[in-house]
Amino acid sequence: MEMQIAFKINSPKVVQETIDGEVVIVHLEKGDYYSLMNSGADIWNGIETGMSQTEIVAKMEAIYEGDSAEIASSVNNLIEELKAEEIIIPVEKNGHQITEITPVETKLKFEPATLGKYTDMEELLALDPIHEVDEMGWPNAKTQETF
Amino acid sequence: MNSEQKPLAFFNEIYDCYQEAALAKVRDYDYNIAGFPIRLSFAGDALVNRLIPALAHLKTAHICEPLLTICIWDSTSTNTKIPPPSWEGQHLQKRGEIWGLNNDRIHTSFMWGANTLSMLDYERNLGIYWLNNYELLPYWETSSPLRTILQLWLNKKGVQMVHAGAVGIAEGGVLLVGKGGSGKSTTALSCLNSELFYASDDYTLITPNPVPFAYSIYSTGKKKPDDIDRLPFLKPIISNREKLGQEKAVYFLHDHFPEKIINSFPLKAVFIPRVTGKLETNLEKTNFTTGLSALVPSTIKQLPNTGKTACQIMMQIAQKLPCYYLNLGTNIEQIPEVIYQFLKG
Repeated sequence: MEMQIAFKINSPKVVQETIDGEVVIVHLEKGDYYSLMNSGADIWNGIETGMSQTEIVAKMEAIYEGDSAEIASSVNNLIEELKAEEIIIPVEKNGHQITEITPVETKLKFEPATLGKYTDMEELLALDPIHEVDEMGWPNAKTQETF
Repeated sequence: MNSEQKPLAFFNEIYDCYQEAALAKVRDYDYNIAGFPIRLSFAGDALVNRLIPALAHLKTAHICEPLLTICIWDSTSTNTKIPPPSWEGQHLQKRGEIWGLNNDRIHTSFMWGANTLSMLDYERNLGIYWLNNYELLPYWETSSPLRTILQLWLNKKGVQMVHAGAVGIAEGGVLLVGKGGSGKSTTALSCLNSELFYASDDYTLITPNPVPFAYSIYSTGKKKPDDIDRLPFLKPIISNREKLGQEKAVYFLHDHFPEKIINSFPLKAVFIPRVTGKLETNLEKTNFTTGLSALVPSTIKQLPNTGKTACQIMMQIAQKLPCYYLNLGTNIEQIPEVIYQFLKG
């Protein structure tokens, strides 16, 4: 039987927590902060639970409506990025255990996963552009406390 | 002007606006924050009562030479204006930094929602805090004001602001870590009704050397409105009762429990509160990585410019301290008792 590759989080160099739907990953040695949302968070969940790449793609196809090739490509790209950033390490999948994938009733539209990376001096992925400004030209968005 | 000169030029432009606003009236308030003399200089009165109550326990007599001065004003009450940066598309970043206006000397960030501008000139030890209309300052800014400027400046002094609560006694205390909703506030606030002292429920200053130490910064507490019944002794002192539909309950604790606020103590452990639904509260030993996972991501996510130095300080603290889950029971009175017995044991 062909060996299945799964991934493990590069602990203790990397710590992570899901906060308000955002997977917040910190590489402690570099001090960099990474963010995954939506499909990225779901792929991360697959990684975290020890799924192989094939299983993660199957999981994503079960919960998202989208082109299979696009989903597979997005999973592959994110995994490659996470490996390059030394956030995850490939490992042999534990035994021959096959992870159960539960289909959902309503599939969400698939959007490719993006890995946000924020360093201490610059933020490499911006949030929204400034849409609303007040009479002086400063943003005046109203948001709720998120922490 | 080249891109390296822009941050300082913009800082000076905004500082000139402060000086114009300050022509009519300046009110200075001095504080001892983590051992550092810091001055808040308000142009006008409007923001004074909105920002100083959270720091009341750290107020000191007049300081001759503050190490950091923060200039504070709003445009509405001082009838002054400030120019915006030249926004060009996505210039405002996730944690508030304004693209192009940050370098090794100058920090510039704008907080979404609170709509406050925070700037810091590390060379002159000069901070700027501005918003358009003082009446629109949200409750989370009044309960933990000037976070960005203070955490950036203190970070350079080896003191890290973290998203954590802290309670204890003079001989030692514990750091309460975890994301929002994990039980930090319930744990910290429950200690007001016990032999323990309160340093904070949400933000704490920590330093690892020579021994791990915690400093209180805000003597406030917050609870979600649907959770205030768990701490009935605090219900009479909710400061924003009429707004509980939209805001968390905010308590200004120094006004009501001045004798229960503690400004600093050595840290003895990291506790990760977690709600169990069971009656009893107990401690369960866990490892250093679990403690860091509960502390670092939620801190890094919300404080601008936190990175390598912040991680190093948090790692040093976690390496030096034992880490425990604090399994929270439904009998609230037992929570401080378990912490107290740990500290006395």
